[in-house]
Amino acid sequence: MKILVVEDDEVLVAVLTKSLTAHHYVVDVVKDGEMGWIYGSTFEYDLIVLDIVLPKLDGLCLCQRLRTEGYTTPILLLTSQNASTAKVIGLDAGADDYVVKPFDVAELIARIRALLRRSQTSSLPLLVWGELLLNPSTCEVSYDGQALTLTNKEYELLELLLRDSQHLLSADEILDRLWSSDEFPSEATVRSHIRRLRHKLVAVGAPSDFIATVHGRGYYLKAPNTGDQHSLANSTKLAADAHAPRQSQPSQQQQYLEFLNQLWLTTKPKSLEQLDLLWRSLRKLRVGGFDAQGQRQAQEIAHKLAGTLGTMGLTLAMQLSRQLETLFTNPELLKKQVEKHLLEILESLVKGLEQTIQNTEVLHSIPISGVTGSNLAIASGQDSPRVMIVDDDVDYLRSLPKLLQPWGFKVTTLADTKDFWQVLDLVLPDILVLDVNMPQINGLELCQALRDKQPWQRLPILFLSVLSDANTQNLAFSVGADDYICKPIVGIDLANRIHNRLKRVQSYSNYRSNEPQERF
Amino acid sequence: MSSKRILIVDDEESIQTVVQFGIRMAADWEVMIASSGPQGIAMACDHSPDAILLDVMMPDMDGIATFKALQGNPPTAHIPVIFLTAKAQTSERRQFQDLGVSGVITKPFNSLDLPDQIARILAW
Repeated sequence: MKILVVEDDEVLVAVLTKSLTAHHYVVDVVKDGEMGWIYGSTFEYDLIVLDIVLPKLDGLCLCQRLRTEGYTTPILLLTSQNASTAKVIGLDAGADDYVVKPFDVAELIARIRALLRRSQTSSLPLLVWGELLLNPSTCEVSYDGQALTLTNKEYELLELLLRDSQHLLSADEILDRLWSSDEFPSEATVRSHIRRLRHKLVAVGAPSDFIATVHGRGYYLKAPNTGDQHSLANSTKLAADAHAPRQSQPSQQQQYLEFLNQLWLTTKPKSLEQLDLLWRSLRKLRVGGFDAQGQRQAQEIAHKLAGTLGTMGLTLAMQLSRQLETLFTNPELLKKQVEKHLLEILESLVKGLEQTIQNTEVLHSIPISGVTGSNLAIASGQDSPRVMIVDDDVDYLRSLPKLLQPWGFKVTTLADTKDFWQVLDLVLPDILVLDVNMPQINGLELCQALRDKQPWQRLPILFLSVLSDANTQNLAFSVGADDYICKPIVGIDLANRIHNRLKRVQSYSNYRSNEPQERF
Repeated sequence: MSSKRILIVDDEESIQTVVQFGIRMAADWEVMIASSGPQGIAMACDHSPDAILLDVMMPDMDGIATFKALQGNPPTAHIPVIFLTAKAQTSERRQFQDLGVSGVITKPFNSLDLPDQIARILAW
């Protein structure tokens, strides 16, 4: 565990560092607020001890700045001001705890431990892995009842592996977490520590691959026999797991990640081959547009890539592929002379995708399964609801996306109805907002046409119009509209109507399918 | 729940491998593999799996065509089919529902979760 101490009192620094190191923490010390910011934002710490009175940048400002920039590292403030207002200010600035000088060092250490415990995903005091037991409060380690004598670094390494049992730890990560920023050990150092640790583990009866290696990638703890893990883990894990979603055992996830990494060795070159095909398609596009088959092929390649890359846990690459897939459906691509702007977007997407794949050596994360419990109407979590608004009033249209965006809607506006069907197929909205009076095609006719076409029969359609007479409204409902709103309307009201309509569709299909599952 | 036999029909080798690995590891079920619609139909006829995971987008014979063929074929018509798709959009799901597919699992997925998801969809 790595702690940053931002304190200019040298005596206090000496005392703190000595204490913290004795408790097996790695400590970085800086003497002013500016350095505190530089260190805090560059390196990863498990906790920051921050004095309020500092040269260059005071502790409260530093604390606020860290919080504003999104750093959630636990922060403990040190101060000589005992006043309650000072404490309130400190805590409001984003600190997690507040200790008044002079303080009892033992108390400070205990508070630090408490903060660190809180920030762990599991609040277990004991760390268990098969027959291995590690007690962070006493720093005692045993295997199968036999005590292990470890050096500081060996202990820290083991604790790190235990705490981060969910994923592969690379040598770089280990160096980053266990050595302070002014030491410069190498990967060889990590390797020799791992070797010594393994020897000691074998000496007490652990398997030689208790700490397993994925060549060139990193280290992880090999899954213990499930029997053992259950017996010890269950009795101590109950509280921590009470709210955790039901998942596979950590060891399984670890093996799954290792498996994905092995698979990536063959999947990566295959994905790059598919990208070559995409480049070829783009070259064809540059000289003279797609034919229908070429377009479909490009779409399919992008679609497949999205599926594969997503399954490997590469979310960014997956999203890039999906964007490509959508863009490839654009009918503009069938023209003899494809618009330069469109080509440029496609090319930069393919380039970005290629780079992302090229640069991925190690997979670090496992894909999260898509929301199976999601309802038919709205894909929750991943996509915001898509709202498509058709109105020839360009000025009005321009104001709408900004109005509706705080509600989390993805808004597409269309003023020119001749593109309506193409845009509809491209956007695939969750809800459609139509004006009644438009040139070329009347909103009411459009609504009727939609109701006659699969799969738009059940698309929620809202009318938004200046016409407020009863006749028009009745007509709208008779051609299949779900709602009719009169202009002018305040943004918040429109958002509400859209939101409520979407919720009603959602609960209706819930009711119909009996269970909130994707079960038909 | 007794051990189940699942047939995965997907033209992508990586997906096949991932599905097989995850289902075997998490639930120890048997996993059969087919790389195309026609091959999938043949395997379903010969081996009568308990459920079929069917990729929607495949070259030549896509998931929808394959599903219709399976439904129209007496030996395989009763086998529940779950679509695998990257598309999470409303209109497509409505299409699938109207077809009569038992459920949909969206990509990307963690294949260790597949046995649970399948069991929930099919109420095993």
